Amino acid sequence: MDKETVVLSYDVIVVGSGGAGSAAAHAASRDGARVLVVTKDPIGCSDSKIAEGIVTVRGVAEESDSHEVLSDNLRLAGGDLPVPEITEAFAEDSEEAYDWLRRQGVRPRIDSKNGGPVVLPIALGGHSHRRSVSHDNGGLAVGHAAWNAVVQGDGVDYIEDSWFLDIVTEDGPEGPVVAGGLIYDAGEGCLIAVQAPAVVIAAGGLSTLYFPNTDTMRGNTGDSYAVAARAGAELVDMEQVQFLPFCLTSPPSYEGLLAGEPVTAGYLGVIRGADGKIILDSVMLRTRAECAAAMVRAVEAGNGTESGGCYLDLTANVKGERSAKYYVKFVHTAVSGVMVTVRQALGRAASEFKEIWEVRPGAHYCMGGVRVDAEGSAKALTNRHPVRGLFAAGQAMGGVFGGNRLGSTSLSEGPIFGARAGHKAAELRVKKMPEEKKSLSSEFEIALRSYLEVFGQEGDRSGSGMIRELQKAAWNGIGPSRSRVGLERFLRQVADFRKQASSIAVSKESIWNQAFIDYVEFLNMLDTAEAVAVSALNRPNSLGAHIRMDGGNTSVLFTKPYSVGVFHAKSGGLQTCKLNRPSTPWSTLLAHAYHGLKRRLELKILWVLPLALQDRIVEKKFRDVMGSLETEKPEAERKVSNGEELEAA
Amino acid sequence: MKVELAIIRGGEKRLVPFEYAPREEGERPMALDVLLQAQATDIPDLSFRYGCRNRTCGLCTVDINGRPRVGCRARVREGDQLSAPSTLPVVRDMVSRRDGIARQLRGRVPSTLRGNDLDVEAPEDYHALTACIECYACLDNCPMHARNFDQGIERRDENKAYTSGNPFSLLKLQRIRLDPVATREDANKALNAAIELGIDACYDCPGCKCGVGIDLKRKVVKPLVDASKALLSED
Repeated sequence: MDKETVVLSYDVIVVGSGGAGSAAAHAASRDGARVLVVTKDPIGCSDSKIAEGIVTVRGVAEESDSHEVLSDNLRLAGGDLPVPEITEAFAEDSEEAYDWLRRQGVRPRIDSKNGGPVVLPIALGGHSHRRSVSHDNGGLAVGHAAWNAVVQGDGVDYIEDSWFLDIVTEDGPEGPVVAGGLIYDAGEGCLIAVQAPAVVIAAGGLSTLYFPNTDTMRGNTGDSYAVAARAGAELVDMEQVQFLPFCLTSPPSYEGLLAGEPVTAGYLGVIRGADGKIILDSVMLRTRAECAAAMVRAVEAGNGTESGGCYLDLTANVKGERSAKYYVKFVHTAVSGVMVTVRQALGRAASEFKEIWEVRPGAHYCMGGVRVDAEGSAKALTNRHPVRGLFAAGQAMGGVFGGNRLGSTSLSEGPIFGARAGHKAAELRVKKMPEEKKSLSSEFEIALRSYLEVFGQEGDRSGSGMIRELQKAAWNGIGPSRSRVGLERFLRQVADFRKQASSIAVSKESIWNQAFIDYVEFLNMLDTAEAVAVSALNRPNSLGAHIRMDGGNTSVLFTKPYSVGVFHAKSGGLQTCKLNRPSTPWSTLLAHAYHGLKRRLELKILWVLPLALQDRIVEKKFRDVMGSLETEKPEAERKVSNGEELEAA
Repeated sequence: MKVELAIIRGGEKRLVPFEYAPREEGERPMALDVLLQAQATDIPDLSFRYGCRNRTCGLCTVDINGRPRVGCRARVREGDQLSAPSTLPVVRDMVSRRDGIARQLRGRVPSTLRGNDLDVEAPEDYHALTACIECYACLDNCPMHARNFDQGIERRDENKAYTSGNPFSLLKLQRIRLDPVATREDANKALNAAIELGIDACYDCPGCKCGVGIDLKRKVVKPLVDASKALLSED
């Protein structure tokens, strides 16, 4: 590193520029704070951009969709792990968050009947009401919005190609206080020390730990969790990693990519094991966690395919002449991007639902995250101090979804909690900036030195190679199927990996030092993986997305719900704690169970009916929610060409 | 399968041969597959951008035989050469520096749209433009973007933004002009920005090519050219 460290000062640093980071930056700047957004990928290139683009908006279709109902849905789906004040905040702000996205340019189709956004005709699994709005071009619509909010100026500065390395804290009388952060600007080839009283962590999740079994952005290397934990923050629910049930197993270039949601399985979709027998019916009504769990158990019982998957059988949906076209239209409306992927990967017959699809769970989202309150401020156990000035939003935060995240909720979560954290962070701004920049404190100097020392580190290992080894170990140890033995073995591997980190060769290059970047990301992945493993060990039974093959199921009725918290102990190493959560009342649970059973029974009956009758009933079900397709005018051609056509060109 | 990778470090360029080992019989790998395998074998510190592997994030654009392609969906053939997008300065290996493009729109797009009722249908072309993944393939052969490197000098302003535009920036500006929620003032500002960025370069240009198939010529360039000509003839 031959360039001198650059020193800057801001009111708020926002790490990440996706749905959460962009909203945080925008909110803080509106309150008069001077904001610096730091991102390692270009602005807006986040999971929000590559998502299916379906957004939860409470009350958009049905009057009975109250705040309480949505908040209850989230907590029930999350196995009572979500924090009530946080799910309530979600329910209160979802409409405002959606309007914010629209003020940044997100344009839904408008329903000519009610004058509002067109809502998906069927409630996604676990949602009691229809409240999911889809968009042309999927998440790209949201990606453009995030981009706009950051790039437009107005008090927001940004640097891309820049890795946020660590938060720097100083000791105050009431615990650690944020003093700023350290950044490696790879494009300029220098380290940057930013003095700021507030840092909002919105740097996404950890799914790259499971590459290639993931459908998310490469940049999800656990930076959010690792950086926050190293600064002294607590993490919660880190064992709750969401694996989407239906991801592709082949061809190799498409491995891990999304092939559909439970709801797009339609009224007649089922999951089959390698032996062809049904392992889960009524797929449409199940949550992602329920589907993934059934598949993992089948594979563990020896009923999986060679590549460790199962079969998603949607063929029954297109057997009836009358109902088939409704099903096809429904799927293409809900997940148009997915269908392009399926067509390319599995071919025409499969994409027309005439063949079964081989699928395997893939990492999609981390429900766990930084322990914060509903405003995004770091929280701590009563005998510890929270890090003052540390905020988290979006996938980086915990407490919103607990054991399972319902479809379409993350694109709301980003702007909801991004805005909350941004406003709160702006309150810490220094009213009058000092004329001259303060010289760097010793805490900054120590942190800087620890990173400068890495440039020129000699060794026989490569960061990218270590990352690949860790990914392999993580899929086996902390993947969708877990056991005490496996988790303990994984923790031993983590300890080994940590020892080898000092043998990673890093050149002295200043500009885009790839080995340094790989080293930094490897350590973040390692810290995060350890937090997942330690938390998973502390939950001996299955709950939500966490499946313990050596444990029983957790009964929501008879168990007192608790979250696992984890943090760096003063003595070194990770320490865990139990955080009690309130139970959903019996009456709500029973009503929910009864409702679910009734809906499942309705679908089960369909199976025993003769095809002609089944066809008519399913057609009617679709017509009731989608309207008749007979009277609809031919849709204007609005899709751009897909990759296949391009390739031929 | 043998390919060549352009390894660029410290301003030095080397063409490195790489033998791709197919992962299944008859595999026709994508450019990104080749780069991932090269990183896993011969070149552990190979630099390249990628994100979603699903042709949506716009990060993995590389040149194949000198033409920009979206790396995760562009098949590679025997003897192909992979290099960083040549339309922007190369930082290292397959990584070019992109940030001067987006920056030129700072202050030129409205920070918050508050013109009309949000529950209003956008025109079809608005949705067509939202399909842009920002892969920057459209910079290739763009005479407007070439002005940023006229006579070999990189032209960036004090905010590190390129002074001349490109089809991506024009798309962003045209999107505002099509947005029913934007005010007239927003739309006029967008048109003026297109003129400042050098829309005149498009007057005699045969047209640009989009990496994901958006009809840039008809849906972006022509409306802006027509409107700018009309505006300039008024003056």
